[in-house]
Amino acid sequence: MGKKLFIVLVGLLFGGFTVLFNFFPRSTVSELEKRDLAKFPTYSGEKLADGSFAKEISLWFSDSEPYRDFFISMSMGLKDLIRVNFSKESSLTFHAPDMTDNDYSPTGDFGEDEADELMSEQTPVDEETTENRKLEEYQNKITAQENAKIANAGIIIVGSGENTRAIMAYAGDSTGGVKFAEVANKYKRILGDSVNVYCMVIPTSTEFYCPDAAKKRTKSQRATINNIFANLSDSVTAVDVYTTLAHHAEEDIYLRTDHHWSPLGAFYAARRFAKVAKVPFADTTSYIRKVVKRYVGSMYGYSKDISIKKAPEDFVFYVPDSTVTYTTTYVNYTVDENYKVTNESAPYKGKYFFDYKDGSGAAYCTFMGGDMKITKVETSTDNHRRVLVLKDSFGNAIPGYLFFSFEEVHVVDYRYFTRNIVDYIKENKITDVLFANNIFSAYMPGTARRYLKFLRN
Amino acid sequence: MVFSDLFFLFAFLPAFILAYLAAGYADRKLFSPLDDHKFKARNLVTVIFSLIFYAWGEPVYVFLMLFCVFVNYLAGLGIEGSGKHRKLALVLGITLNLLILCTFKYLGFFAEILNGFGLSVAAPKIALPIGISFYTFQSLSYLVDVYRGQSPAQRRFWDLLFYISMFPQLIAGPIVRYQTISANIKNRTVTTEDFAEGAYRFLLGLGKKVILANQLSEISDRFLADGNFSTAGSWIGLLAFTFQIYFDFSGYSDMAIGMGRCLGFRFNENFDHPYTCNSITDFWRRWHISLGTFFRDYLYIPLGGNRRHQALNILIVWFLTGMWHGASWNFILWGLYFGVIVTIEKYTILKYKIPSFILHIYSLILVVLGWGIFYFDDFGKLGSLFSALFGNAQSASDFTSWAALTNNFWLWIAAITFSLPVRKLFKNARGKWIYRTVISLLILFCSVALLIGATNNPFLYFRF
Repeated sequence: MGKKLFIVLVGLLFGGFTVLFNFFPRSTVSELEKRDLAKFPTYSGEKLADGSFAKEISLWFSDSEPYRDFFISMSMGLKDLIRVNFSKESSLTFHAPDMTDNDYSPTGDFGEDEADELMSEQTPVDEETTENRKLEEYQNKITAQENAKIANAGIIIVGSGENTRAIMAYAGDSTGGVKFAEVANKYKRILGDSVNVYCMVIPTSTEFYCPDAAKKRTKSQRATINNIFANLSDSVTAVDVYTTLAHHAEEDIYLRTDHHWSPLGAFYAARRFAKVAKVPFADTTSYIRKVVKRYVGSMYGYSKDISIKKAPEDFVFYVPDSTVTYTTTYVNYTVDENYKVTNESAPYKGKYFFDYKDGSGAAYCTFMGGDMKITKVETSTDNHRRVLVLKDSFGNAIPGYLFFSFEEVHVVDYRYFTRNIVDYIKENKITDVLFANNIFSAYMPGTARRYLKFLRN
Repeated sequence: MVFSDLFFLFAFLPAFILAYLAAGYADRKLFSPLDDHKFKARNLVTVIFSLIFYAWGEPVYVFLMLFCVFVNYLAGLGIEGSGKHRKLALVLGITLNLLILCTFKYLGFFAEILNGFGLSVAAPKIALPIGISFYTFQSLSYLVDVYRGQSPAQRRFWDLLFYISMFPQLIAGPIVRYQTISANIKNRTVTTEDFAEGAYRFLLGLGKKVILANQLSEISDRFLADGNFSTAGSWIGLLAFTFQIYFDFSGYSDMAIGMGRCLGFRFNENFDHPYTCNSITDFWRRWHISLGTFFRDYLYIPLGGNRRHQALNILIVWFLTGMWHGASWNFILWGLYFGVIVTIEKYTILKYKIPSFILHIYSLILVVLGWGIFYFDDFGKLGSLFSALFGNAQSASDFTSWAALTNNFWLWIAAITFSLPVRKLFKNARGKWIYRTVISLLILFCSVALLIGATNNPFLYFRF
């Protein structure tokens, strides 16, 4: 009797899964991992013969399962069950680093010509200027004593309970980032005296919240930023947000569950920039505070660690009040599955701040709705200053604070821009160009290569 | 295709089950009840699915396997014929199988060795066909069993192909001998008990692979793969690998044996709780049993066993055992390492009474160190691993070592527990099918969840 019951029940579950996986609509996107899932492969005789066709079918089958995110959450829950916390206080997880990216070496695969092109930018730097650019030292007094634990993809998980924070290990050397400085120097040389060029390198949360126990797993971002600033020519202005952020490290300047900083962190950085650029800046009283509740960012999908999901946070951002008016114009880029630009839209008007519901994991896209576009904001400020922000997604959080400071704010992502940047700057009468990249992208020579390409487009 | 692939579990396997059931109907309706072959259609269906299963990973090499089976089919018939040509057919058959194995698995390695001696030989770029070590060994067992008169030669090509290509054991063993299943090719019965036991065994194997081995592999890779070792980290990584390879390989064998049982075959056991061994000699009676007994019966004894030049025989067997695992020096070293230990044991510990817990600890240390040799085909990294294991590392430990223990606490406990013969304790328990049902449902559900999150989980024994 028991045997028959066994066969019936196991058969039912097995049959149930078979029906589910073969006949239910398949998933196409994973919200959790923030990526498109594998598609059914296209057939070719060659792919059939070398086995890749079959391999891709297997991949498609197991990547696009119906209810994939549900099963992955289950899987993370299961993995969490095997854990025991011996120290009651808190713990820290490290998700093993994957630094196999070819781009992730100080020199990377920078083309020889491009390297030559930048070599000429190495200008001797005035010692006094260099001294002013030295970043203040920061000592972590907030999470230094936390324990550590390891998860996927170079991610360290700090703390426990509702204060759990995921930080990404940094593997860059103190000698890296030179290309980033050189490309800023080159922009300055080409743009001449009429345009100010600024270089802002944004550290990530690892720098401020890495517990002592995990220090060995990550390198100093301060060292790289110092190196970048040391390689800037006198005529490029360094914007040291490292020191600024360090002074506010006890506030929520970084998101705990996402790889980005928080809009508050960007506020302090923007204030610093405004000071350096000698433009007016509005304090927090000129902004309306808005909140997306129960936000769980990208680190959940990256680390596949359930403790991140269990520690949602408030995504707090600030919208300028009615003392400044502005209109936003976008040009959207369409990209293919490899993120190559395939099309460019006509300019259209839209809102600068997008709305996300409580619980949405995409809340960081509040600013301009993401990266794949050129943004132009015309403001009621009248001071003949126009800024162009060249940035990655960290930079997205900055422009919203500059409407009181510039009469026009332009935003271009380093990955998506198909025009000639010098022409763009001239046509729009840009007076200030700000490079605002996070340390990971500033470090990768590929980023400088793309900025260099903007000059040749 | 691998057994722990969702496509195998929920597309291939259900399709096979349906086709097999339909073929069973056809067997009963289409063929005379007096025909002594009652499984023609079912065997044909199995062959077709096995070829798809194999071609899924090796669309071209499937023809090599077909060729290999055809040659063995002819050789088998030749061996069974009378007179002086019997031996010739056997020798030709064996030579050809070995030639195929050497060409596709070892040619590049041989060329490398010759280059090492200063001879300039172009190293051929031949990809290793999946499972070639398993199916050529099964072919050899077929030829020898027929020659020895232990089984009649197979007169139907399809049925020989059925034996060699049967997907449950095609690509990662166990090495099923022809005589084990020859009687069941034409006729076999599957009782409810067989089916339930088979399905249960299959799910246990799935759990070993997906729930235990895959998680352990994350630990072993983290500490071993990059070649930067701390002392604690190297031990933790190596221990994780020790458990991983056991659950990975024995899990696969369980799945194969389980599926075989569901189809009406009783494959021999391939593992008998090897980490409970009390000597290395004992370990090899419990680890990959089908390979050990293959070498014993088809090589060691014919070479003269312990009657003639035993030392040489032992050396040859262990050299080949190592080499069977891969065309690389570390595998040969690994084989010889055990050969030397087994020989020494013969004259030492096996002769004296030594408390079993000491023997047990002694054996485990040697087995674990052996896996270190097995893991690295790069001797530079192997050297650093062994230095690190014995204290010569950049650091003694860092937080990740401790974290690997606490964050995976229950995984370690489960690994230790299931390395012990706990299953035997419940073998005759009352109401065991109730427990088994609950366990099976849990394993199936957890495995599916874990597999959906995993991107890559090949079985280790695939490379051999």
